Parts: sequence; structure tokens; C-alpha cells
Amino acid sequence: MTMLALFQPGLYHLLAVSIALLTAGVAVILTKRNAVGILMGVELILNAAGLNFVAFNRYVWANAVDGQMFTLFIIVLAAAEAAVALAIFLNFYNNFDTINVDQADELQG
Amino acid sequence: MHAMLTLAELTSDQELIRKLLFCATLLPLVSSIFTLFLGTKWLKKQTGQFAVSAMAMSFVCALFAAFKFTTGDVEPFTWAIPWIPIPGREAGYLYLGLFCDQLTVALMVMVTLISTLVHIYSIGYMEGDKRYERFFCYLSAFTFSMLGIVTANGLMQLFVFWELVGLTSYLLIGFWFEKKGPQQACKKAFVMNRVGDTGFLIGFGILFAQLGGKVLLPATDGGMFDAIAAELGGKAEIMANPPMWLTIAGIGLFFGAIGKSAQFPLHTWLPDAMEGPTPVSSIVHSATMVAAGVYLTARIFPILTPAAHLFVCIIGLITLVMAACMAVVMTDIKRVLAYSTLSQLGYMILGVGSGAYIFALFHLVTHAFFKCCLFQCSGSVINMAHHQQDMRYYGGLAKKMPLTALAYGICTLTISGIGFGSWSFLSGFYSKDGIILGSYNYAHELGGWGSLFLWGPIIVAYITPFYMARSFALTFLGKPRDQHLYDHVKEAPKTMVGPQLVLALFAIISVPWILPWEHMIEMTQQSLVANGVTWIPGLHELHEAHHGIAAPLLFGLAGLLMIGVGIWMYKDGFGKAEFLLKKVPGLKILHTWALNKFYFDHLYDIFIVKMTKCFAGICSFIDKWGVDGLVNVVGLWTKGLARFTGGFDNKVVDGLVNGAANSARAGGQALRTTQPGRIRVYVSLLFVGLIIALMFALTLVAN
Repeated sequence: MTMLALFQPGLYHLLAVSIALLTAGVAVILTKRNAVGILMGVELILNAAGLNFVAFNRYVWANAVDGQMFTLFIIVLAAAEAAVALAIFLNFYNNFDTINVDQADELQG
Repeated sequence: MHAMLTLAELTSDQELIRKLLFCATLLPLVSSIFTLFLGTKWLKKQTGQFAVSAMAMSFVCALFAAFKFTTGDVEPFTWAIPWIPIPGREAGYLYLGLFCDQLTVALMVMVTLISTLVHIYSIGYMEGDKRYERFFCYLSAFTFSMLGIVTANGLMQLFVFWELVGLTSYLLIGFWFEKKGPQQACKKAFVMNRVGDTGFLIGFGILFAQLGGKVLLPATDGGMFDAIAAELGGKAEIMANPPMWLTIAGIGLFFGAIGKSAQFPLHTWLPDAMEGPTPVSSIVHSATMVAAGVYLTARIFPILTPAAHLFVCIIGLITLVMAACMAVVMTDIKRVLAYSTLSQLGYMILGVGSGAYIFALFHLVTHAFFKCCLFQCSGSVINMAHHQQDMRYYGGLAKKMPLTALAYGICTLTISGIGFGSWSFLSGFYSKDGIILGSYNYAHELGGWGSLFLWGPIIVAYITPFYMARSFALTFLGKPRDQHLYDHVKEAPKTMVGPQLVLALFAIISVPWILPWEHMIEMTQQSLVANGVTWIPGLHELHEAHHGIAAPLLFGLAGLLMIGVGIWMYKDGFGKAEFLLKKVPGLKILHTWALNKFYFDHLYDIFIVKMTKCFAGICSFIDKWGVDGLVNVVGLWTKGLARFTGGFDNKVVDGLVNGAANSARAGGQALRTTQPGRIRVYVSLLFVGLIIALMFALTLVAN
């Protein structure tokens, strides 16, 4: 308890978690060829942004709720995005028999 | 719209005469058109008979009109319908119509009669020709044109028919166009006539410029020039002090007559026109073409000023004497007659010019009969002699062709003007004599060198019987000089002899005490006098003088004498004549000159044809090197300019457009490498860009 009390997480801790999430998301996107994996990386990046909003709301303008509102929007957005993206992947799979994004280069210039 | 011209109402007699003359004028045209379209298909060998019957109907109409006119005591009248509107002129219209006085009627009868006889003659003469039908078409059209001139109601209308006569004569003279002679002769006739017509148009133009549209008005009762006289304040006033332009206009119009009547400077076409078929010669030389010129001179008589009269007389005199000299030496029978025609036309022109108006026109009528007859006789001879026209091969033909010889003989006597005192049984005496009297009168008025006008006609009155007797003797008398030709000759067919005899008969009965030609023409003159034409010295006394002078005795007997001389000299061929040529000094030169037609053709060739050709050469040179050169330079320059602008367009304008396109393409090529279609690349680029942006933002914040 004391240890926990001693460890007062502040803004920077939260930002550090957020960076970790962002970096992990970017890394996932850059390395994964599986579309669903990339979607997961995107979710991580969105969550990093959501965490940032909540953290800044708590430590910079403690009386406001704007940050929480934005985070809620981000969660909704992420859900909607996942739905759309999965629909696209399904169609992609139907047409190309794979969900490897390296194969999806039809729009190459 | 201008007010229409109001003309006097015609009386019933006049109306009848108008209709008759209308028919008489148009029948030949109808016949011509009919034979043109149906001749070869339908009428064929009957074309001649058809044309003759149309002409005969025309003659009957004219004769009836003349009868009505003289017996009914009908006044001269005019009739016109508007033809072509002329805006802005007081006349308002060009009128088409008919002017009728005694002269018109008399000439109508003469022309239709002679034309009918020539048509009949042509049936015989043209038989077997491959364009038999066409010939009658032309001949009728020719007659129609002449009738149009005679009935013309104004100068403009007259000019239209005047040109038609020129055209149809061209077609007729060049009827045998396969041969070179007729080709050139018809061209010559046409061109010579155009030269005269230019004068006519100049004269007409002067009148038009001075008097305006009044010149275009149809003739009124007093003749074609009433309006002009009225404009100038009455005829007596004009002639007391004639304006210069009137003299020039008169001479200009007379120049048209010079062309048509083949007077001195433009006379060379008429003898060449002999190349046409003989019926054409007989009608051209008598009733139609050459008569048109004299007729015109008679019609413009009221506006001829004294100076113009002198000009007319000089032209007439020169033609008269010159042509008579040439007629003496020619050996071609038709050429003798052609120069005789020229000479007689000279008489007529001199007659009109000197004021012997009646006699000049009377001579026109009598001459028409006997000259037409002479030509038809010569045509018969030529046709029978296998187209040998040279009298040197004739001789003694009277035995073979007695009727032709008879007709030729009568006409020879007529043209010679045989008479006894003031009486004769031949018409030629009366008409020619009157002209000599007129010129005597004129010479007397002029005095001094004017006596040339007396001596010229008198000398020619001696030459005429001589050359006519010569041609008669060489053709019909003596021994045959070409036995082969003589053996083949026989009397011409009835269709040719008949007209000859009728014409010879008319040459006799045209004397004033049988047929009223002279009387009718005199009435025209009286109406001229009544209208104030009084400036010709002694005009109205002339007729009286005719009976009170001893001169006719002299000329009448002179004719007889010279015929005797002619026959004596040439009865036995050319022997005596050649003897004379050797013995009499100077005669040889004159003979050579006359034989070469006084070198007029050469003169015209050198001074007109050669000079024209030379001038044309110069013009051609200028055209080729000057005008064409300029054009070529301009062309080259334009070509150079075009090449320059073409280059500019290709290189600069197109270059700009292509450059834009090329740079766009290169830009696209460069940029497409950034769109490889791999998500990871996009994402890494996104983050690299984000990092760069962040670093940039941080630098900004730090500063």
C-alpha cells in the first residue's frame, strides 16, 4: 500500500505509457503484413491518443471534461473504423483469397 | 414609275397598216425560226418553198400596206409599246414600236419583193447543198433584220436590228465556212462593220450626253429627230448656227452607215463578201445590208449640219470614183459587180449628202432591182460554168443562155442610165440623173474646188456604162474563149431565170411614170420640208430643175456612147485593151493600182494589222515581264513569309505546348515512385513526415 502510495503516478508516467502504446502501434503497422494485425496496431495508436486526452484533462484542466468526451469519441470512432475495416478486409479476402496487404497494390501509381 | 408616253390615237386605216407592217416584218422571223427547228427534220427539200411562201406573204402584206397608204391619203404615224424600263430618265422606258411614213412603206415593199425573189432564186442555186435548210433560215433572218431597220421607231431600236443585220450577214457570207475564203471574208465583214458601229455608238452617245433621255423616245410624226430639233429651238435655228457636237454626232452616226454601206475607209469588206453564195451577194448588194447604210443616212438627214453634209459628200465622192476605176480592171465577174455596187452606193451617199434626198433613195430602190438582177445573172453563169468566175474564160454565152443575157443586158442599160432628153424607159436614168443634178447644185453652192462634186459623178457616169458593157461583152458576146466551158453551159433552171426576169422587169417599170416609188419618197421629203428641214440649198427646187436642164440629154446619150465603146473594145476579148495599155503612157500604172484595189488591203495590213500586232507584242512583253514579274515577286515574298510563320508555329508555339506536356509527364514519373501501393511504405513516410514536422515545430518553439 505504502509502495503504492509512494508511487504517485503523474502526467509524465501516463505520457510514457502513451508513447509506448504509440510506438508499439507503429511498430505493428510497419511490421505486420496481416491486415487484421495492422488494424490492431491502429487500435493501439488510437488508444495512445485517447490516453493522452484523458491524462491532459486530469492534470492540466482538472475541472473540465472535454478530454473524456474526446476519448469517448475516439473509442466510438475506433469501433466504427474496425467495423468498416473488417468489412473491407472481408471483401478483399473474397476477391484475392488473402488478407496480406502487400498484395493490395492495385492503386499503385 | 414614270408617266407613260402618250401617242396619238391611230385611225382605222393606220391601225390596219400597222398590223400589216407588223405581219410583214415578223413573217420572215417566224419562217426563220420554223426552218431552224423543223427544217432538217420535217420540211427537208420543201424548206425553200416554205420560206418563199412566208416571204411572199410578207410581200403581200407590205404591198397591201403601201397600197392602203398611198391611196387612202394616210398620215405618217408612230406606234410604240414600252419595252425596257429605264429609271431616272425622262423617257421612262425604251420603246419598241413602228414608225411608218412613205419611205418606210416604199422600202418595205422593195425589200420584201427582192427578198422573195432571192428566196426563189436560192431554191435553184442552193439545190443539193448539204446545209440547204440552214441557208433559208439565215436568209429569212437577214430579211427580218433589214425589215426591222426599216420599221424601227428610234435610234436604239434601229441599232438592235442594225447589229442583227451584221450578225446574219456574217453567217451568210461565211455560209461555206469549210473554205478559207468565206471564213476570212465573213470575219472581215463583221470586223469592218464593228468599226463603223463604234462610230454609230459614239454619235449616239454624244446625242445622249447632250439631250439625255429624249433621244430614246420613239419617233413622233415628224420623224426620229423631232425631239432633238425641238430641244435645240427648231430646225431652222439649229442650222443657222449649228453646235459643234451636233456635227460630230452626225458624222459619228454616219460612220455606222460607212460601215454598213461599205463607203471609202471601210469599203474593203464588200468585194470580199463575194465569197458567200451568190444569192447572198445579190441580196446584200441590193435590198438589205448596204441599203441599211443609205437608209440610216436618210433618216439622220435632219440632224446633219452643213459641215457633216460636206463630210458625207466627200466620202461618197471618193467611194464613187475609186470603185468605178477598180470595176474597170477586174476580171472576176462578181468583183466587177461588187465594185459597181460600191460606186453606186457612192452615188447614193453623195446624193443624200448633197441634198438630192429623193433621188438618192430612189436610186436605192432602182439600184436594188437592177443590181440584184445582175448578181443573179452572174450567179446563173457561174453555177452553169462550174464555179468559174473569171470572165477571161467566158465569151459568147448569150447563145447558150439567152434569157440570162437578156436580163443582164436590160440591167446593164439601166445602170448606165440610158435616156433621151428628160425621158427614159429605164428607171436608172431618173434616179442617177437626179443625183448628178443634186451634186451639180451642191457644187454650185460651194463654188471653187467644190466643182469636184460636179465632175466626179459626171466622169463616173461615163465610166459606169463602160465597165458594165465590158462585163456584158466579155461574158455574153464574141467567141467563146474556153470551148470546154462553153460546151457545158446551158440556160439556168426556171427558179433562177424567173426571178432574174422579174427583177429586170422591175428595173424597167420602176420609172416614175409607171410605179410611184419616186412619188412616195418625194412625199417623205415634203413632210421633212414641212417639218422645217430647209437648209439644203435648193432642195425643193431640185425636182423642178430636173426637167429644165439640158444635162440629162448629155448623160443619157453618154451612156449609150460608152456602152458602144465598151462593147467594141471587149467584144473580141482583151486584145484591144492590152494594145491600149501598151500604147497610152501612165495607163499601165493606173491599171496595176486599180487591179490591186489601190493597195487598201495592203495599207490596212501594214498600218492596222501589223501595228496592232506590234502593239500587242509590246503589251505582251510588259505583261510577261512587268506585271507577271511583279506578281511573281509578291508570290515569292509571300511564300517566304509563310515559311517563316510556319517555322515559328512548329518550333515555338508547338514547342511550348509540347514542353508543358513533357514537363507534366516527367513530374508524374518522378512522383509516381512515392506511390508504390504498399501500406508500410505509406505509414513509414507518414511517420518520417510527422517526425520532421515535429522537429521543425520544436525548433520554432526553441527559438
